[in-house]
Amino acid sequence: MKLLLFVVAIAVTVAVAVTLAAVALFVRGALTLYRRIAAGAPSPGRLGPVGPRLGAMITEILSHRRFSARPLVRVAHWVVMVSFILLVPTLAIAYVQVLAPDAELPLVGGWVVWQWLLELFSVGGLLAIVTLFVVRLRHRSDPDDAAAARDWRSRFFGSTRWQAYFVEAVIAVVLVCVLVMHTLRSAALARYPETAADGGWAHYPLTFWAGQLFWNLSPAALDAGISTAAALKIITSMIWLGVVGYATTMSVAWHRFLGVVNVYARRERDGRPALGAATPMLVDGKPFDIRDIDDLDEDATFGIGSIDEFGWKGLLDFASCTECGRCQDLCPAWNTGKPLSPKLVTLALRDQAAGGAHTGDVFAALRSSGVQPAGAAEAGLVPTVINPDALWACTTCGACTDQCPVDIEHVDHLINLRRHEVMVKSDFPEEFGSLYGNLDTKGNPWGLPPRQRFDWAKGLEFEVPVLGVDVTSAAEVDYVLWVGCSGAYDEKGKKTTRAFAELLHLAGVRFAVLGEAETCCGDSARRTGNEATYQGLAVQNIETMAEFGVTKVVASCAHCLNTVGREYAQLGASYTVEHHTQVLNRLIREGRLNPVAPPEEERVAITYHDPCYLGRHNGETSAPRELLAAVAAAPVVEMEHHGTQSMCCGAGGGRMWAEESLGTRINAARMDEAVATGAATVATACPFCSIMLGDAAAGRDAAPAVTDVAHLVLAGVKRGLDNPTQPKTED
Amino acid sequence: MKILTCVKYVPDAGDEVGFDSDLRLGRTGPSSKLSELDEYAVEQALRLKATMDDATVTVLSVGPADAEVALRKALQMGADEAVLISDGAIAGSDVFGTAAVLIAAAKHLDEVGLVMCGMSSTDAGVGALPALLADALGWPLLSNAAEVSVEDGQARIVRTDEVGTRVVTAAPPAVVSVTDQSGEPRYPSFKDVLAAKKKSVTTLGLAEVGVSADLVGAGAARVQVTAVVRNPERAAGRVIVDVDGSSVDDIVEFLAAATK
Repeated sequence: MKLLLFVVAIAVTVAVAVTLAAVALFVRGALTLYRRIAAGAPSPGRLGPVGPRLGAMITEILSHRRFSARPLVRVAHWVVMVSFILLVPTLAIAYVQVLAPDAELPLVGGWVVWQWLLELFSVGGLLAIVTLFVVRLRHRSDPDDAAAARDWRSRFFGSTRWQAYFVEAVIAVVLVCVLVMHTLRSAALARYPETAADGGWAHYPLTFWAGQLFWNLSPAALDAGISTAAALKIITSMIWLGVVGYATTMSVAWHRFLGVVNVYARRERDGRPALGAATPMLVDGKPFDIRDIDDLDEDATFGIGSIDEFGWKGLLDFASCTECGRCQDLCPAWNTGKPLSPKLVTLALRDQAAGGAHTGDVFAALRSSGVQPAGAAEAGLVPTVINPDALWACTTCGACTDQCPVDIEHVDHLINLRRHEVMVKSDFPEEFGSLYGNLDTKGNPWGLPPRQRFDWAKGLEFEVPVLGVDVTSAAEVDYVLWVGCSGAYDEKGKKTTRAFAELLHLAGVRFAVLGEAETCCGDSARRTGNEATYQGLAVQNIETMAEFGVTKVVASCAHCLNTVGREYAQLGASYTVEHHTQVLNRLIREGRLNPVAPPEEERVAITYHDPCYLGRHNGETSAPRELLAAVAAAPVVEMEHHGTQSMCCGAGGGRMWAEESLGTRINAARMDEAVATGAATVATACPFCSIMLGDAAAGRDAAPAVTDVAHLVLAGVKRGLDNPTQPKTED
Repeated sequence: MKILTCVKYVPDAGDEVGFDSDLRLGRTGPSSKLSELDEYAVEQALRLKATMDDATVTVLSVGPADAEVALRKALQMGADEAVLISDGAIAGSDVFGTAAVLIAAAKHLDEVGLVMCGMSSTDAGVGALPALLADALGWPLLSNAAEVSVEDGQARIVRTDEVGTRVVTAAPPAVVSVTDQSGEPRYPSFKDVLAAKKKSVTTLGLAEVGVSADLVGAGAARVQVTAVVRNPERAAGRVIVDVDGSSVDDIVEFLAAATK
């Protein structure tokens, strides 16, 4: 008995001491983080409106929908998350239970529903955390060997291993303590007839059975066991709290708190990831507008060149990173051996915000991807913290941002870093020099004469009306066809434009084009950080379209779709822009186009490559697939990566115009996936993808044919016209 | 020291170029801009300036009022000041007339230590201007430089031609022309573009630099364009497809004919 009292006394002393120290450390860490994040530049509009933001936050967290690509992890993480929330009150009562083992929580203690919840989530949480631990072990990587051989197959490469194992171990120990306490409590109650009902399986649905093993222990021993487990639970939890408070860059642990705030402050209040339009470039907290160039302050700076120029939401992003590596796992640059990992960029910036020190794992991974980490906080970010090769390798495909469970805005951050390089330092890959020159003087990336912009329509059997020449106002037509630079100048692109125009003509759609008055939409300029050139082009297009009252636009280029449809709105213009696959799909449904599948012996398997700016950035993955199914009379054969988890062709983010000299080629890797499906045709719906995949196909012996969906639809429609007796594919 | 860089406002070579009825280049058709070859001269002048303590870069052009566009571009790249000599009497000048104006302007401006030029214009393409300037000023000519530097008060260039590589030096003042191998011209940052908005272009007439109107214009031109003929379209090349070596004779025959 004395011994037991002694144990309890020790437990109480240690628990109290550890708690005081841990809480002090945690409060200090939390304040440090608050000050670090609050020191950021303004992030306008990220705190309100409270209601919709709270709604979106709760929906996203409870649904775990960002995890949709990983169903097992989704369930496991959800259970662990819920058990963490449920166990917070039990930690509070544990302080009482150390002294009074029979203490119960006020209100809910002893309530059957609460007890079932606790039991289920304790056992479930234990199973779940073991599952997550096994997942982590299965994706092992060894950053110590990183300099010799970078293991890019593991998404945890570069994540700090001890921190994750520590967090998982703490959860496991705490859950075991909870279950031990329940088991012993059940035994203490169930062994006596007068309390048997309270200790039965109805109250302890899972631990009652194990509790029977302890029925012959003395009540004092049971109580001491409960006290000890409660103390151990407190000590373990407090060790976690203290360590986390001490290590403010331990974001795998901090994400429990910061991730919630980060999801609340997300860019898109409707729940979409921070994709589509690029973030406006802020100058002194206000969006830059080239039309107000004369009002610019003399010392104005552009983009982000040092860590303190990030908005607080950016700093919160970095501090919230769970190091799960889902961004890295899907990054086309990382997977083809380039030094860019969205995770490593995030971690490098996180550590820079904290003063520059890295953990061993992060340091090794950064070093292996070509960065020489520098401690100096005042140093410019590129090239000391961010390797320029990493910065310029990004295709802005958005896979990282789409996957991120805590809504980190990787693409926007990289674009802001690029803006500083281009607009302040004029330091960028050489190829972009001629790109910008061509865009500034000719309004197209190739530097071809603007007067050749309408040449694609030469030789068509029908007239394509030009606004301002053949028609005076866009009100006279159903759509303005946005041709785009590729559609106007590239041989493949021109063919696609012709095919689509022919389909519109066959369907009896009234449409017109801007002709030579159209200029580049500016996507490549914007995504390589040249906001000035982008806005110069955008303003020109907006003025042209205003002249003719343009409101409804259809584009066959996914980049034009995104830029004209989503980004021009940032400059005060608003259009309804649809993609050609969406319009074609509707024309077929309305019976205005009637494609006919080839005869059975001529049918081939088709796979579909999702353009990033159509799928991930604009959420359209079904229209092209429905079109293809209608034309081919069979569903498409899917590649390993498809839909919103599709893999980039390598041309986004201005990479279309740059050499790809590091690692292997992205388009070749993508073509490998297409070949693996066995399909004879790779259909796509963006001229950049057509060019990139076409190049990849040309570089190998037996490759599928690469074509735009429009060509397949036109072939089907022509089959129907040539042979109207054949049954239609539509019912 | 002032580095005076001569630049020309030319019709865009990538565009379709038209000719007026008097066989002069049509100024209304294609867009015009700073000659790409002169961008190399501006670039080298700016790089030289960066290596020197007290250098400034002045860009100088002879042309219509619109030629300010070319000078603005040079100012955005980083030139300190710009001078445009514009006068109705200059229209129609040949390379001698243009040179006369530039020479007068170079004398008019103070402290010119180096005159820099591109290797040739991209429109008329005569390529004689640097030599005319050096001759008239009585300064040494360091022509067709692939590298330029000023060390210990000496201008030094590296020129590579079919014979080999030469290193030529001269004491300023001197005239330097640079090739398109000298280093890619910079793309001005937006900060530079904004800074250039504050710089002004000084426009001077013939009288102000002291050039007699008799020396310039179509009337004084010693070069006469008598005809403009479009190059024939390039014929398609011949493709020989061979998988088994059977067309070796065809290739030999083709090469023999081509080298005869």
